[in-house]
Amino acid sequence: MTETRSTTENAGSPPILAGLLAEFDGPDALLAAAEKVRQAGYCRWDAHSPYPVHGLDRAMGIRPTLLPWLVLGAGIAGAAVALHLQWWTNAVDYPLITSAKPRFSLPANIPVAFELIVLLSALAAFAGCLALNRLPQFWHPVFTARRFRRATSDGFFLSVEAADPRFDPSRTRALLESLGASAIEPCHEPAEGRRIPRALYRLAMIALALAVLPPLWIARVRHSKSERPRIHPIQDMDFQPRYQSQAASPLFADGRAMRPALPGTIADGQLDADEHLHRGRAGNAWATTFPVPVHITRENLDRGRRRYNIFCAPCHGLTGGPAPDDLKRQGKPDKLLYGMVALRAAERIEGEQPGYTGWVMPRSLHEPSVVGQPVGQLFNTITHGLNTMPAYEAQVPVEDRWRIVLYVRALQRSQNARLEDVPEDRRTDLK
Amino acid sequence: MTPTMKPSTTPDVRADQMSLSGLMPEGRRVLAVVGAGALALGLALGALHGDGHRYFLHAYLTGFSFLLSITLGSLVLVTALHATRAGWGVSVRRILEILAANLFVPALMFLPILVLLAWGHAGLYPWNNPQNVAKEPLLAAKAGYLSALPFLLRAVAYFAAWWAVARFYLRHSLEQDASGDPALTVRMERWSGPALVALGLTGTWAAFDWLMSLEPLWHSTIFGLYYLSGGVVGALATLILLAMGLQRADRLRSAITVEHYHDLGKLLFAALVFWGYMAFSQYLLIWYANLPEETAWYRPRLAGPWGWVALAVLLGHLLVPFFGLLSRHAKRSRRALAFWAAWLLAFHWLDLAWIVMPSAHGRGFPVGLVDLCVLVGLGSFYLAWAWRIAHGMSLVPMQDPRLPEAMEFENM
Repeated sequence: MTETRSTTENAGSPPILAGLLAEFDGPDALLAAAEKVRQAGYCRWDAHSPYPVHGLDRAMGIRPTLLPWLVLGAGIAGAAVALHLQWWTNAVDYPLITSAKPRFSLPANIPVAFELIVLLSALAAFAGCLALNRLPQFWHPVFTARRFRRATSDGFFLSVEAADPRFDPSRTRALLESLGASAIEPCHEPAEGRRIPRALYRLAMIALALAVLPPLWIARVRHSKSERPRIHPIQDMDFQPRYQSQAASPLFADGRAMRPALPGTIADGQLDADEHLHRGRAGNAWATTFPVPVHITRENLDRGRRRYNIFCAPCHGLTGGPAPDDLKRQGKPDKLLYGMVALRAAERIEGEQPGYTGWVMPRSLHEPSVVGQPVGQLFNTITHGLNTMPAYEAQVPVEDRWRIVLYVRALQRSQNARLEDVPEDRRTDLK
Repeated sequence: MTPTMKPSTTPDVRADQMSLSGLMPEGRRVLAVVGAGALALGLALGALHGDGHRYFLHAYLTGFSFLLSITLGSLVLVTALHATRAGWGVSVRRILEILAANLFVPALMFLPILVLLAWGHAGLYPWNNPQNVAKEPLLAAKAGYLSALPFLLRAVAYFAAWWAVARFYLRHSLEQDASGDPALTVRMERWSGPALVALGLTGTWAAFDWLMSLEPLWHSTIFGLYYLSGGVVGALATLILLAMGLQRADRLRSAITVEHYHDLGKLLFAALVFWGYMAFSQYLLIWYANLPEETAWYRPRLAGPWGWVALAVLLGHLLVPFFGLLSRHAKRSRRALAFWAAWLLAFHWLDLAWIVMPSAHGRGFPVGLVDLCVLVGLGSFYLAWAWRIAHGMSLVPMQDPRLPEAMEFENM
């Protein structure tokens, strides 16, 4: 049995022992030795061979790897992310109908899901393999043994780390010798003097500094203005032959490049088939009840009040205009009960253009002619406007228009309340 | 795989029972009787349908295309094993060679269809009816390709090509059994590439002719690969079941190990995923474009009872076995692998029934007694003939230079 000196080059302090490296004559000897070392109860040790030796996993007692589960998890995550992304972008955030398919249609989403499953699984397999093997690792004490260089050509080795609780320099050596090792070499921790050269640090610093430049430059151009056209590193579909909107085209008989929609085409979500909800009609008359989605609840009333205060109060006033009693008493409405816009318009007409008929003062919502209107008619007025009042169809969603009607009804009730409308236990407060 | 240096632990394949001799001497005769009986029963039950044997003919075509797909799948696997110079597969290659050389049976089974066609019968293929051709200008335009004589000539050409490849590989392999000449392996490898190309092309055309033209106005370029990939699934499942059956009958005990089953399981998994890829690629484009002439094929196959069959095929031929075969443990467990092989074989048949049968009937329970009788009948003949071929030859290519590698093969 021969023994060689380790190749550590420090002359000063004695090298710290990191482990023992034993060489074996072939894969069979290595297999038998691995079996024995495992039985001896060692846990921090490894076998090194130039090619995979069948049965070594079993001899070393290596348990099946966790990696397949990581890959499975990554694959499932890939499917979930891809499907969620497509569902959110296509069906929720920016609903878009393609080829008359449902917004969320599974067959169309499979390819992206498939690609993402493959991508995340492959990345998980790659990164997981490195992580589970504690790679990258730039240095290991076995490198201090001269023989170890042959581990990738024709050497079969077994290394036991000094960190193993059962490690004892002489007893471990005796065990390895008894297993038929042809040579045993100690491995050492890196000596004090052997550090990474300073030049490498400097190089790394310079590389890091240079790496910051491109993002800085990109950030600068993104936040500055330039007369020159932008650079097109990726052309994509930026320059393609196409028609501008409203352009002419000889291709079609009518000479238009933009194709008109087919007769009877209705924009997505604008069929508005519910006569009651969308037009306030019940048969041939105005609806006298609220449509199904707008129930008479506190929430709807509050929402109606807030919408009213935003869209209606600027003209009609926060209370809906003068009460009937005021009208009767004064003959002429008190302007202060209207909103700012109405007041300002009235002032200007009075002061600057007397006799101007382009503006009509808003009606008080408490006038008997308004109070007597069915809710459907009020809804219709909000939707399409009346006289100088503009249409609010485009600004206020249909349910909110009904909520405003609900609040208008509450306002009207507040000016025409009877004693019976007050809860019984509070009636005494009024007397 | 790198060779290990453990000759002492290598099992000796020469100690195995290598031939079928002595195994159930009555087996072939029993199979032939069962086959004839089942086929006659199917024919009689088919007459009860009172549709001029339309139903029976479709069931017959289903059974035929099922057995043919297994044969072609075996042929593809034999050539692929040579093309990849696979060492591990030598243990199981002879069984595949026998299944591929069993082509004689599907060829014989196709004869009645050809005779009926030459007779002017249009129960299977509507393009053979002159009235249909007169009504439909597209059919008239296709008549140069889709009519009895060119169809017949092409069928002869396909079978001749497959027969040449199958005989080539079985003959050379048997020759090597006798001579042990490694040059034969080189020769088989050299021809495997061209053979694979020829199989891909003829298989595609055959699938177009025999299955796609059931709906003569419909066309899908991927259809041939869809059929062939299903065939590879069927061939692998058959191989796994046959190998396990032979081992239970005390044959090939040491030639095929859990390592080979593991690899066959991996291939089965890959083949079913590939099949799913083909099936979905065909479906997605047609579903997306939604053109009437293309969706016409899917319409009867996704409506009524066939819609449920389509769902069953999607689950049973792809999603469920995908997760069933995903784990290493499932592929290394004989019981689990046998279960999934039998399962996939059944669903491969159902897939073909789903392709063929909706042309015959759209309502009622999709799978009938006639289909099963025909399947048992044709399948019995198929097995009996394979048995006949296998008789008197070794079940492992004993002199193959890669046999030692196959014997020592281990998955990492």
